[in-house]
Amino acid sequence: MALSPAAGRLSAHEIADEPYYRAVGDEVEIFAASYACRLPVMLKGPTGCGKTRFVEHMAWRLGRPLVTVAAHEDLTAADLAGRFLLAPEGTVWHDGPLTTAVREGAICYLDEIVEARQDTTVVIHPLTDARRALPLEKKGELVAAHPDFQLTISYNPGYQSAVKDLKESTKQRFVAIEFDYPEPSVEAEIVAREAGAEPELARSLVEVGLRSRNLRGRGLAEGASTRMLIHAAKLVGGGAALDAAIRAAIVLPITDEPDMREALGAAIAATLPQALRLQ
Amino acid sequence: MTVEAPARAVRLVGPRAELAGLVGGRADVGPAFLRAIGRLDARWSDEEIEAWAGGALALAHANLGGRCLDTFFRLAGRLPHQSAAALAGDARGAAEIGRRAGAKAALAALEAVPAAALRLPGHRDRACWWAGLARLAREAPDCVVLIAGQTVAALAAADGAAFESFVAAGLKAGGRSRERLRAFFSLEDPAARRMLERAGGAVGFQDLERPLRLFGLALWGSPPRLIALDGVGAAPASQRVSIVGGLIRMPHVYRGAPARETPALYRAALAHAMAHRAFSGDPRAVGRLRPLQIAMTGLVEDARVEALAMRRFPGLRSLWAPWHVARPGDAMTAAMLMARLSRALFDPDYDDPDGFVAKGRDLFSRAADRLEDLTLSRAIGGLLGHDLGQMRLRFDAKSYAVEPLYRDDNMALWDFDEPPDATAEEIEQAVEAARPTPKDSDDGRSEGEPQEQRSGRAREAAPDDRGVAIASYPEWDRAAGVERQGWTTVRDAPAAVGDPRALDEALDRLGGFRERIARLVRGARVGRAPRLKRQPEGFDLDLDAAIDAAIALRTGELPDERIYRASGVRARDVATVVLVDVSESTRERVGASSVLDIEKLAVAALASAMDALGDAFAVRAFASCGREDVRLIRVKDFGDRLDAAAMGRLAGLSSGLSTRLGAALRHAGAELGPIRSQRKLVLALTDGEPSDIDVADPLDLVEDARRATLSLRAQGVDVFGVTLGAAGSYGVFGRANTMPARRLEDLPDRLSELYFRLARL
Repeated sequence: MALSPAAGRLSAHEIADEPYYRAVGDEVEIFAASYACRLPVMLKGPTGCGKTRFVEHMAWRLGRPLVTVAAHEDLTAADLAGRFLLAPEGTVWHDGPLTTAVREGAICYLDEIVEARQDTTVVIHPLTDARRALPLEKKGELVAAHPDFQLTISYNPGYQSAVKDLKESTKQRFVAIEFDYPEPSVEAEIVAREAGAEPELARSLVEVGLRSRNLRGRGLAEGASTRMLIHAAKLVGGGAALDAAIRAAIVLPITDEPDMREALGAAIAATLPQALRLQ
Repeated sequence: MTVEAPARAVRLVGPRAELAGLVGGRADVGPAFLRAIGRLDARWSDEEIEAWAGGALALAHANLGGRCLDTFFRLAGRLPHQSAAALAGDARGAAEIGRRAGAKAALAALEAVPAAALRLPGHRDRACWWAGLARLAREAPDCVVLIAGQTVAALAAADGAAFESFVAAGLKAGGRSRERLRAFFSLEDPAARRMLERAGGAVGFQDLERPLRLFGLALWGSPPRLIALDGVGAAPASQRVSIVGGLIRMPHVYRGAPARETPALYRAALAHAMAHRAFSGDPRAVGRLRPLQIAMTGLVEDARVEALAMRRFPGLRSLWAPWHVARPGDAMTAAMLMARLSRALFDPDYDDPDGFVAKGRDLFSRAADRLEDLTLSRAIGGLLGHDLGQMRLRFDAKSYAVEPLYRDDNMALWDFDEPPDATAEEIEQAVEAARPTPKDSDDGRSEGEPQEQRSGRAREAAPDDRGVAIASYPEWDRAAGVERQGWTTVRDAPAAVGDPRALDEALDRLGGFRERIARLVRGARVGRAPRLKRQPEGFDLDLDAAIDAAIALRTGELPDERIYRASGVRARDVATVVLVDVSESTRERVGASSVLDIEKLAVAALASAMDALGDAFAVRAFASCGREDVRLIRVKDFGDRLDAAAMGRLAGLSSGLSTRLGAALRHAGAELGPIRSQRKLVLALTDGEPSDIDVADPLDLVEDARRATLSLRAQGVDVFGVTLGAAGSYGVFGRANTMPARRLEDLPDRLSELYFRLARL
């Protein structure tokens, strides 16, 4: 799809080649419809199931530049909106990534928004309702959003705890699209495509992933993500033995607990065909 | 002197001579002594015989009667390979036991020596065995005879040192109850058996339960219900898994399996049982099938479900394969042939020349495309059973055990209208075992039945149970408006010990709860040193502040000098006493569990979180029976770890008596007094208004508790109340410091949340 001419400031954020994304439901249609009316979107789902890739794909499909901000616990409102900096001639205002996206009409993607401090998330409120404007308090400016601007956030309810949760007033502003790990056959297709792996290996890795996801919430915070399975498949492609690749890419990263490692390792061993392990 | 003149010169002084003088002429023991000395002369040197005689003398001096000496002298003949030191040790051990527990005990011990010598031939090992018996003779004399009678079973897996620790454990478990001690040392108590089976360092079900559960869950997506398999009465527990109504009962230990392979064996057994669960369907009617056909159908069914399971999880083959070891050339019995058939059906590479095995394999492989058919195994099994019957090989249904070891007894496949005699007892026991196992929403007790602790030791109001008086506290007299000094007496009540595993399981059932707590703990501990902005000094410029300052400078204002960033250091420094109300009203039921059950759960969750954080805390349960008898049970002290014993005491709490909250609060405050800590907290869990039997107006005690709270607060101790149920009021702790938990199910969550809020620094 052709890119509409975006302003020069965002040329680095334009996505030229189609990012691979395998749709599993109606998420593409929902996102496109939301974008058509510029409704903000919230992507919910466990880590490594393709949320970020989906946004990239949609940005490419809609022909908009994509500004991504990974939220962290020290992220302040100024980091998003912008701040005064010192220059030889005095103080100069410097737009933050959100303000840039608002001015230039990009899709702004705030990854793992719950990680940010709660006061930070309030900054986005005026952008997500009928006002569609970003007030820059320090500068005394009200930036009206470019007609093409859209806000997307991601949110992992698995991490939800008493300490970290989205405010109700924030949650209710978004159209939500739920992500989960795809059906085994689809996931195998994705693993095979992304890692360049044999279909049989991909299928077995997906089985391994399913085993670990059975333990989610019962000793494991999360099961192995699609991303982890792709990593394991890449290791095998790079010459590692399957057992070692699974251990390095899946078992060791997701748990530190000996009992859990033993049980998970045994369940994985029971899942894999002997022939594949000896390759 | 009637010293026999042997071939060699005999010393005229020394133990041997003395012994000969003492017993050689006695009609009851003389002959046995002479026979023994005759044998030993041929076997040992003079020194060895002197050593032996020294031991015998000690026994003789103990005056335990002729039968003991006679038995001892006969040992010389019965145990020709024993060393002099070992036999002398036996005599001394028996003498010691005789002194403590009487001649009968000593005799029983001596009679057990041949069995003990078989397992413990060395004299050091045997000395440990004797030391164990001697301790028993001192502390529970009537149990020596019992355990001596069970020597074969007692030493089957244990060595001498393990026997000693078994005795110690038994004495502790039995406590002051003679019945419990007798049950333990006669091995009627399953706990005793379990302990012995694991005594030799064997890895058992208990060690592996959690990984096994996780393994089953990971593989099949639903957690298996596992329980240990106890033997019936004095019979040793079965070595095969047994499935009853969805409950997988596993042996405590697989006797003789090397420790290294045990985890794999248990996994193989669990995977097999789960394969049955997934593919075997409902039990079939036995009808007119004969035992051999039943066994054969089971064998084919095992092969069928394993084949199906391996289609889904190919790696299971390598889990099961090592246990299939039957091969041609073994003796030709029905059981052997069946083991070979099992292997042939499992292992396509296995070669067997037998026609019967080949036929079975052929029948099975021809059915490969319809393995899902539930009637398949009965059809093939019926045919093969008939064939094997024709071969006139003896099949002993009573001694038949399914092979290989990891497979289950296949009883679950059948619907016995009338259980066959051999298994009736076992099935009954299984049903019994199935009963107390908690379902998701059920704590296993039937409604309305008075709850008793599983340990069976409900706290009684017996006088000796009141415990030692440790402190007295004033109480507020509302009518008179004065504080009456020394009014209440707080006693240190003994704690009953319950089963901590039940608590653990209940915590697991709370679905994701542990993870939530763990996250809170991580959040609190890692604590991420907070970044302090706008500091007068620090390691880094605070950009925003610096810019503000620069702007201020340029606009001619006075800049703020605090332009640095710093990291705050925070160390957790909290000491907490958790007070748990265990008065009669906590017996009330909420759904399937009692208020106390939920309290325990909440405290267990909170305590494990505090323990993980390394915060100092103590847990006290309180109940009262008048002002002279305010009982505090020390579940956990400051400085102790939250170990299995503490969890056991928590699990052992039982409901009873009244709530004299004020006294308990004052005592908690007194305990916090000497603790050095920046922040001191008392968290009180109580389910209603304070009350006691000797107080007519409950308001008196409410007022007293309120005053206690205020006085603690004046000492810098924060008191928070978590009131349970709808009746909670704010009277005692004040509105800000009361957290009502109206829905009891929420309590574990809320209590922990409260703590984390309070203890945040």
